[in-house]
Amino acid sequence: MQKRFLIVCSVSLLLALAGCGGNTDTGIPPASTGGAGNAPTGPVAPPATASVAGKIMFEGTPPPPTKIQMAADPYCAKNSKDPVTEDVKVTDGGLENVIVYVSSPVNAAFPTPTQTVEIDQSGCHYAPHAFTIMVGQPLKIKNSDETLHNIHAFAETNPQFNVGQPVKGMVNETKFDKAEMPLPFKCDVHKWMSSFAGVFTHPYHTVSKAGGAYEIKLAPGTYEITAWHEKFPPQKQTIEVKDGGKADLNFTFKAAGPAAD
Amino acid sequence: MSEHDLAGENIGLHRFAVFTALTTVFLIFVGGLVTSTESGLSVPDWPTTYGWNMFTFPISKWVGGIRYEHGHRLLASGVGFLTVILAFWTWFREKRKWVRWLAVAALGTVIAQGVLGGLTVIFLLPAPISTAHACLAQTFFCLVISIALFTSPAWKRELPSIGESGPGAPRMPVLCALTTVAVYVQLILGALMRHTDAGLAVRTFPFPLIPPFDSEKVAIHFAHRVGALVVATMIVWTFSRIYSHYSHHRLLFRPAMTMLALLVLQIALGAFTVWTAKGVLPTTAHVATGALILGASFLLTLRAFGMVSKRQPAAIYPFREPAWK
Repeated sequence: MQKRFLIVCSVSLLLALAGCGGNTDTGIPPASTGGAGNAPTGPVAPPATASVAGKIMFEGTPPPPTKIQMAADPYCAKNSKDPVTEDVKVTDGGLENVIVYVSSPVNAAFPTPTQTVEIDQSGCHYAPHAFTIMVGQPLKIKNSDETLHNIHAFAETNPQFNVGQPVKGMVNETKFDKAEMPLPFKCDVHKWMSSFAGVFTHPYHTVSKAGGAYEIKLAPGTYEITAWHEKFPPQKQTIEVKDGGKADLNFTFKAAGPAAD
Repeated sequence: MSEHDLAGENIGLHRFAVFTALTTVFLIFVGGLVTSTESGLSVPDWPTTYGWNMFTFPISKWVGGIRYEHGHRLLASGVGFLTVILAFWTWFREKRKWVRWLAVAALGTVIAQGVLGGLTVIFLLPAPISTAHACLAQTFFCLVISIALFTSPAWKRELPSIGESGPGAPRMPVLCALTTVAVYVQLILGALMRHTDAGLAVRTFPFPLIPPFDSEKVAIHFAHRVGALVVATMIVWTFSRIYSHYSHHRLLFRPAMTMLALLVLQIALGAFTVWTAKGVLPTTAHVATGALILGASFLLTLRAFGMVSKRQPAAIYPFREPAWK
């Protein structure tokens, strides 16, 4: 009987040890195809000789930024220069961090940029808060803080990942195989940290800057342009741009009004 | 050799099992805290913690959500260690073979639970694994409760008989068992609701009584509310039966009374969970109280069955000579 018990215990211990041999790899799973998984195939893209530019305007009173309670991490409480939420950032009547992109099909093959896009964790915030990237383009994720962060990509089309960066200066690199919009990033250690990416198969995308200004360089043609913000419903407009021309296109997001009766 | 040992009662083993059960309740509370604070993935690796051995991870790095997730892992390891001791202690000191195997089952369950906990982190909290992790915790809790009960002096020699069956149908022990099953199913639904993020699929309570079924989450949430109604009915029914016919049997009346009191608390906590939009404290307390209701119901069921069956006195449980002597 004791022998049987010892056998059961040994098997249990082996199972437990098997569990302990698990995941110590904190790297991001590499993109399976090295990029361009669902990149458009077609004629070589014509040069971007036109542009569409404008302002993302904000109508109404923007919600005041909420102060973030960072007491859960003394490092963040001490080192965050601006401990407020950055979801609705309005300057000069313009809304920042709006992802503006061509949402109509783009039937052309674009070369994958080799320039690395970087997202940094600094002062317990993501910088930038919103960014765009192309399928297959390198993304560098960096921790500039002397505290631990985890980068959790809530991808739905691409593989989801969650990696830890416990040490200042740590860098992980990845690429995305497929277009995905939006692709949220979150730190589960610091709940207030979030960032949004737009992954595209074409280069016709950008993020609105201070004052809500944006500009996209593109080839002449007719496009559906979408403006996406994390807190408001997306807006779409169609515009035609001519060779060498610069089309103006503004979007207006409105502050949430009182609830309808 | 102590008097207790001579009577076949290893009171130390019983107390240790009770302690393990209490620690398990606390572990379930902390596990609930991990989900309520959405900290489940704040430690992305397992079984290591940010590359450190779990037990050497510096306290200075317990920040933000890590405190909850890492604390849960350490406490779970502690309960695992207690279970190892419980299994060895039971194996070498307990005469009844089936109780010994019960302890082995508890050990196997706690190991499986640890592995499930690790898998749910590695696979980024898939609802089926997370729900299984939550449900296995309740199963483990019931196993430890049963060991605590079966090693108790009351079970071994003082359990009074209430006859073959009491009045009413279904028989009282069967009614208790049905209540336990209802509570367990409700805990599964609760776990499913938590891990599919359906806790606020219906944002008001108690109305609407029947919400518009416009998503799967609403269906899960509604099933949990219906489950609460079923559980409440079963508990009130069980308590009424025991109050009417067995109120002089404290071994039955106490857990029944406890179960009823916990039910009232649980309904209030459920309401506050909705009203506070899943506030951390009411949500977590709702999880832990659910476990306590299951524990009380399970204990009542075992005692009810024990008191109707024909059992022999403690003389059949003589002190078992340790194997190493």
